[in-house]
Amino acid sequence: MTTASLPTPGPSTDGALLELRSIRKRFGAIEALRDVTFSIAAGEVVALLGDNGAGKSTLVKIISGGLEPTSGEVVFEGVPRHFGSPAEAKAAGIETVYQDLSLCTNVDVVANFFMGREITKRVLGIPVLDERRMREETARALEDGGTRIPSLRTHVEHLSGGQRQAIELNRFVHWGGKLVLLDEPFAALGVEQTRRGLEMIDRVRQRGIGVVLITHIMAQAFAIADRIVVMRQGAVAGDLATRDTSPDEVVHMITGEIETVGTRNP
Amino acid sequence: MTAITDDSQRLGPRRRAVLEFALDNLVWLILLVVLVVFSLTIPRFFQIGILLNILEQSTFVGVIAVGLSLTLIAGHMDLSVESVMALAAMIVALTFGTGGAGSGLELTPAFLAFPVSLAMALTVGALIGLFNGTLVVRFGINAFIVTLGSYILVRGMVVALSGGRSVYGLPDILRVMAVERIAGVPLTAWALILTFTVFAFILGRTPFGRHLMMIGGNAVATYRAGIDVKRTVTIAFVLSGALAGLAGWLLASRTAGATANLGIGMLFQAFAAVVIGGVSLKGGQGRLSGVFAGVLLLTSIQTAINVMGMPPHYTQMIQGSLVLLAVLLDALKGAVRRRYL
Repeated sequence: MTTASLPTPGPSTDGALLELRSIRKRFGAIEALRDVTFSIAAGEVVALLGDNGAGKSTLVKIISGGLEPTSGEVVFEGVPRHFGSPAEAKAAGIETVYQDLSLCTNVDVVANFFMGREITKRVLGIPVLDERRMREETARALEDGGTRIPSLRTHVEHLSGGQRQAIELNRFVHWGGKLVLLDEPFAALGVEQTRRGLEMIDRVRQRGIGVVLITHIMAQAFAIADRIVVMRQGAVAGDLATRDTSPDEVVHMITGEIETVGTRNP
Repeated sequence: MTAITDDSQRLGPRRRAVLEFALDNLVWLILLVVLVVFSLTIPRFFQIGILLNILEQSTFVGVIAVGLSLTLIAGHMDLSVESVMALAAMIVALTFGTGGAGSGLELTPAFLAFPVSLAMALTVGALIGLFNGTLVVRFGINAFIVTLGSYILVRGMVVALSGGRSVYGLPDILRVMAVERIAGVPLTAWALILTFTVFAFILGRTPFGRHLMMIGGNAVATYRAGIDVKRTVTIAFVLSGALAGLAGWLLASRTAGATANLGIGMLFQAFAAVVIGGVSLKGGQGRLSGVFAGVLLLTSIQTAINVMGMPPHYTQMIQGSLVLLAVLLDALKGAVRRRYL
């Protein structure tokens, strides 16, 4: 399998939407990320694969502003950035769908859909929630996404796991931004809903938005991704165009039977 | 499979809306029943004067209960409201009172004492609220501990400032709120109604209120959604403090002065009202209309006991039982909701 050790071209770094340069992250004595370098272009779907504890979620948190890297650079749209909070990353155009859902179950579907982005109208200079417009927009977005929820006024605590996940997925499709990070987004979804979720990713890609999809499931990665990045023990173990690799090869990279594939030699 | 059978048992939209409405306004229903029962069984209870008196008596506990609700809804709490109320009352009384420990400050024109004293009370409250909020938010200390500390500390300040002495003889202009009436209703009661209306609006209709509710539900999600959680929670504490200041200002007006032990025990009444009103101690749950009904319910019972001439310790026993009942009721409501909604 030594043929695979040739460096793959990948998208040129000057056109990259997001570029990670030698990212390291330490938690005390543990090195969670070791010299991670990769990039993603606008309109590209990159699947990030790896075993539990390979550092995928840590990497997502660094991109989305939840964690700061110990060293290394996050370059977004050609400018080095330091996202101190998710709010800053979001302002720059990075949307994240987390593994553990980020919904407030004590409020209704509309409130969740517009969380932190409420539409307001001014009444005597006071910002007042424009419930009607928010409800209409939520209804349209969910309908476009093919999600059926009995009433938008229902508190999310009364909805099923699949419906909850559908709200989050529709939320990212609706807001989009420039780059979307999806951390195990289909964990609670059935077969049909997963298919629809993959369609959503495709729609987002066609709008020129970059997508990082973290998943455990090989079939999902091969179904949608343009490129597959494999992480193992906090480092990039492989970075290949999907058409140039096979599930078998990727499994070998994940488990470590192939040392390093497709990355520059140190 | 149980989930599916449950689904088929669910009610149609209309009956569901009725049930939802009834559950949401259960406290008002109880209040109504209690008032009717009192009116029928207690001689001389049903009089406009007594009903207005219930409203007026509810003001002080009611206003601090609003602040307490704000912090509880955000997933924290503010135990200091009672002491802050007393401090605001004491500072106003010490500045403008003519008797006892008061220094009898006179402003020209005299009506200036009205806005100046109000501003003083609100500022004192807001500053203590800011202090509490900063410790909770910036230093991540549990709100129970922080505000328990403030509760004791601020009460100590009340005693220290007054030297344990009473203040009396507030100028007429500062007694306006307690003395004057609009449409037969005392101004203090109007202040209570206005406070509940304004804050119910803020909680239900503004982004700030929406954020507060969502923070109480899932603070991590709101942080990830880009909401400034620290700022929002700090504002909740500042508002809670300022409302306690307002309550103190009204209380000074009502008692025409202040004593070192002013308002002791009101924290527990406010807590009872808030719990009866359906605000969850876990955060993210509750509406001010329920809290309003809770306050009125507590005061009605107190008033009924007074009218009947029963010894006051019955009040405490009944109010205590009522709190426990409210918690049980809340659990029951949850069960009904899960079953039918």
